[in-house]
Order: sequence, then C-alpha cells, then structure tokens
Amino acid sequence: MGKTMIMKIMERASGKEVKVGDRVWCNIDWSTARDFGGANCALQFDEITNNEGRVWDPDRIAFTFDLQAPSHSEKVSNNQKIIREFARRQGITHVFDINHGIGQHVLLEHGLVKPGDVILGTDSHMNLLGGVAAFATGVGNTDIAASWLNGTNWFRVPETMKIEVRGEFQRGVSMRDFLTMLVGDLGAGGMDFLAVEFTGESIERASLSERITLCSMVTEMSGKIGLILPNGPVLEWLANRAGPEVYARVSAIAPDGDAPYIDVRRYDVSALEPMASCPDAPDNVRPVREIAGTSVDQVHIGSCTNGRYEDISAAFEVLKLSGFKISPNVRTIITPATREVMLQAAREGMIEKFLEAGVVFTNPTCALCTAEHYGALPSGDIGCSTTNRNFIGKVGKGSHTYLMSPMSAMATAVRGVITDPRDILCQGGN
Amino acid sequence: MSEILKGRAWVFGDDVDTDLIYHNKYLAETDPKNMPQYSFEYYPGHENFAREVKPGDFVVAGKNFGCGSSREHAVYCLKEAGVPVILAETCSRIYYRNAINNGYPVLFVKGISEAIKARRINDGDMLEVELETGTIRDITSGQTYHGDAVSDLEREIMSAGGLIPYLKAQKKQG
Repeated sequence: MGKTMIMKIMERASGKEVKVGDRVWCNIDWSTARDFGGANCALQFDEITNNEGRVWDPDRIAFTFDLQAPSHSEKVSNNQKIIREFARRQGITHVFDINHGIGQHVLLEHGLVKPGDVILGTDSHMNLLGGVAAFATGVGNTDIAASWLNGTNWFRVPETMKIEVRGEFQRGVSMRDFLTMLVGDLGAGGMDFLAVEFTGESIERASLSERITLCSMVTEMSGKIGLILPNGPVLEWLANRAGPEVYARVSAIAPDGDAPYIDVRRYDVSALEPMASCPDAPDNVRPVREIAGTSVDQVHIGSCTNGRYEDISAAFEVLKLSGFKISPNVRTIITPATREVMLQAAREGMIEKFLEAGVVFTNPTCALCTAEHYGALPSGDIGCSTTNRNFIGKVGKGSHTYLMSPMSAMATAVRGVITDPRDILCQGGN
Repeated sequence: MSEILKGRAWVFGDDVDTDLIYHNKYLAETDPKNMPQYSFEYYPGHENFAREVKPGDFVVAGKNFGCGSSREHAVYCLKEAGVPVILAETCSRIYYRNAINNGYPVLFVKGISEAIKARRINDGDMLEVELETGTIRDITSGQTYHGDAVSDLEREIMSAGGLIPYLKAQKKQG
C-alpha cells in the first residue's frame, strides 16, 4: 500500500515509517506564535523552565503580530511587549511586528515555508500553509511551549480524504464559493481529525491565493490539514521565495498512486453559483441569490482566508463596474492580509479609488476576525464578511454575519443589500 | 483505582465553537485562574454558567465540541472552574490536543448527541462518571453511556499530568 502526502510528511519529520493511526514524534521546522497566545507561550516557557530555559533553536521560532495590530488596549500592548522582550532574551530574530500583517502569509512571503515542513502556530488557520503542501497546524500555548523545549511534538497520523475538483468557474464565481458549498456539504465536523488532499484540473490551475482560501477553511470542517501539491506558477513563485530546494521537496512528498484514502469526493464547479454562509454558522449555506435583498450595515473584505491581492482585485473589479460608488448606508472596510499585498494594491492605484469611493482601507491585520477590534458590530447589526467564521456573537453580541466571496461582498457594499455579483459583473454595471 | 465522580450535568449541543466556550473578546487574558468567569458567556441559554457552575459539575456535549480556534483558554476556563471531565460525542481535534496536553480528560461518548437532542439527558441531571472504565450513569434518567478509551500515548501524557510534565519525565529517564 502506498502513502498519502501527510504520511510522507510525517515520515520525513519523524524519521520512521508510519501507518495511519500511529502516534509519532515529529521534528518541528517552525514553531510560531502570534500576539494572541504568544505572551501565554512565553510566560509558560519561563514558568516551566524556572526562568532559566533556552529555546531549542531561536532560528526556528517566529513571532507574528496580527490579531490586534496595532494594539487597541494596554493589556494587549503589554502582551506584545512580553513577546518582544522574550524574543530579545532568547535571541529570536524572526519577529514580524505590527507593520507586517497576518502571520502565515508573512512567513510564506518571506520564503520561510517549504512543502513538507511541519509548522506550529497559535492560529487555527495556520493550516492555510497546506496550500503549498506544508503541514501547518494551529495549536494551544502548551504545544508551543513544549516544542520550544526540544523541537518536537506528538501527532496522530491521520486518515486522508481526497477531493477532486474539475470545471471552470463562471464569471462572478470564485474558489470561495466552491469552499462555502463544500463547508455546507460536509458540515462543521465533516473533516474532524482528517487530512485532505485537493486535486483535479481546477486545483492544478488555481492561483496561490485560491489555494490559500481553500486550505484555510479546512479548519471550518475541523480538518487537520488540507494539502495541495505545488505545481506550475505557484511552484515557481515558491522556488523564487524559498529556494530551489522546494522542487525536491515536492517530489519527495507527492502521494503514491495506490495511497489509501478513506473517502474520495468529486466536484464540478462549472455550474456553481455564488454562495454564502448564513448566520450563525459557516455550514449554514445558501446561494447568494436566495438571500439577495437582505439589508446590511457593514461589509468587510479581508482576513487570512480572503485578504490577498487577487481578492482585493476581484472586489475592485466589481467596484469599477459600479462607477466606483458604494452605498452610503453601508460601512465598508477592506483589510489587506499583508504589507506586500497592500503595497501592490497601492502601486496599482486601487487604494486611491477605494478611498474616493468611501471605503475604509486599513493596515494589514486580522481585524474583524476578533471582537474588540475596529469594526466590531453592535447588537442588531448585520454584517457581510469574507472572514471564515460567523459564530454566534463572534464580532459583537447580538450581531449576525453572512460570509461570502470578495466579489459578493463588494456587490453588497455597492447596492447596500446582499447582492449576487453576477448582477453587476454580467450586466456591465450598476 | 476506579474513582467515581458525581456531579450535575450542563448540557450543550453539537458543534459548540470556542467563541461560545470562551469568547475572543477575552483572549488577552494570560492567567488561567481568571478565565472561568467568562465560560459560556455567549452560549444562548447558558449565559449563567460561570456564575452557577459548581466544582464537580460536568459539561455534556454533542459532536465536534470545541471546534474553531486554537485558544487554550477554552480548556483552562472549564478546568479551572472545577469541571472534572468533558463528556462529548466527539471533540474537535485542536480542543482534544489542548485538553490532553493539560492532563484534562475528555471522554468520547457514543450516542450522547442523539440523547441530548431527544432530551434523554438534561441540564441538572445527576451523573456518576467512572473515568477508568468510561462508564457514565445518569442517575436522574436511569440511562447508562460508555466513553471510549484513549490511545496509549494520550493515556501516558494524561497520567503524567500533561505534555510538559510528560516531557520532563521522559528527559529524566534519558
């Protein structure tokens, strides 16, 4: 019997042959923490080592400041300070402070992520790095602090589900819509404890940002990791950033032809339409068409799931076809994932146009994935967002959020009510 | 040793996410002892959990308990409140890791999700839980349930008291 991608990754990391269900100790390539959870990790590490411990390898640890950047309270500022001081004391130089953006994206852009890497982070969407076939996983502070002791951690070798995707998206439909449909189809626990391999012609053609979108939402089905083997332009991009070693890595972890899958699902996206996750759960899914006309108070485009340049660019196209006008009744906020994304949008002249239209264009951060940050919703307000969760009261008690693609979100910002973006994109304007 | 734990049930549904257990509003907290006061503040119908829970009470839930965020706060807030064990049909994987790593027991209980939906197990039911065997008796209703045993490694980590004590003990053994 052959091996799946996650089995090969765990064999490399553990140095031994594995089978599904085994518990293995894997060497960690990167053990990271954010401004959320990071202070907890630093304090815990100091406590368990009586303030005398040295981390196993300061060059394999990174801190990213993204959840509350810039800090909005003294408590958060203090947590961020704890991290900076810990990093200085331990000689950790990979500290990406508040001016960088969302952690996983920053690590990827800086060429620190390679296919087959095992990466820990205090972010349940770390696994979006599966978009370049890294096994990255969100964990709690104990897992991080423990890994800093000796650079290893324990994992169960998971079963793998395979999802094959074919067909081309129609205009106005995107990878986010496929994903929303998938979350609705499989449900919040549909991938619990599983690894997932995404394959098929639609995946092979997909851009890096589409692959990130897809893998990030594996978390919303409780999956362990979604993996896509880099190919074509994505592989070239990765080699430019992370070095030519990535080619050998890709060959080493490619799944065998006779690898065992517990489930194989096939989807065709050619007839797919724009989809939304309705309040108050990501798996409460309906076509945008069916909820069109619902009034909204705020639209937010951004997050680790849909905050890349291609996402902002897709929203820009909708705005452009609408004469660069948004509804005066909706507060519209765009948050790029990283500084690199923001710079690209700036160079393309997009930010100026967004600002002129009345959009709030913010610094790169996780922003509206957390309450108590800018854009929190008051009770009774309805939001539309490209983030990944709309749990009860997540961005404000008594508020409700619809999750959708950047194109649907911008179409909604333009009209002031939930709008199928094809109404704008396919009819040449507002 | 087959200690029998006794306490009241607090009953929750399927897919209870980490924002319902411990809302992201309180993530800046770093001291586990301060976390119980925020437990289930956003869970409709159980907003009073933090005020009324007594040490020894059980959290009973359906499928995929603890889905969502990686925040360990969602384990600390219940552990520090004195809830001795989570009884759930299944637990989301990150929550499960965080529990094991803290030596905090989670029992995967077959059929409990259906029992919750059918109201065969309800808030305030008196339960007896035998961790060693995974047997759960609902004294109020007379029903009995069985929890799955965990794997050897998880059991070793649990009995060491969590991942950090486990690693320290391993190091001593050399």
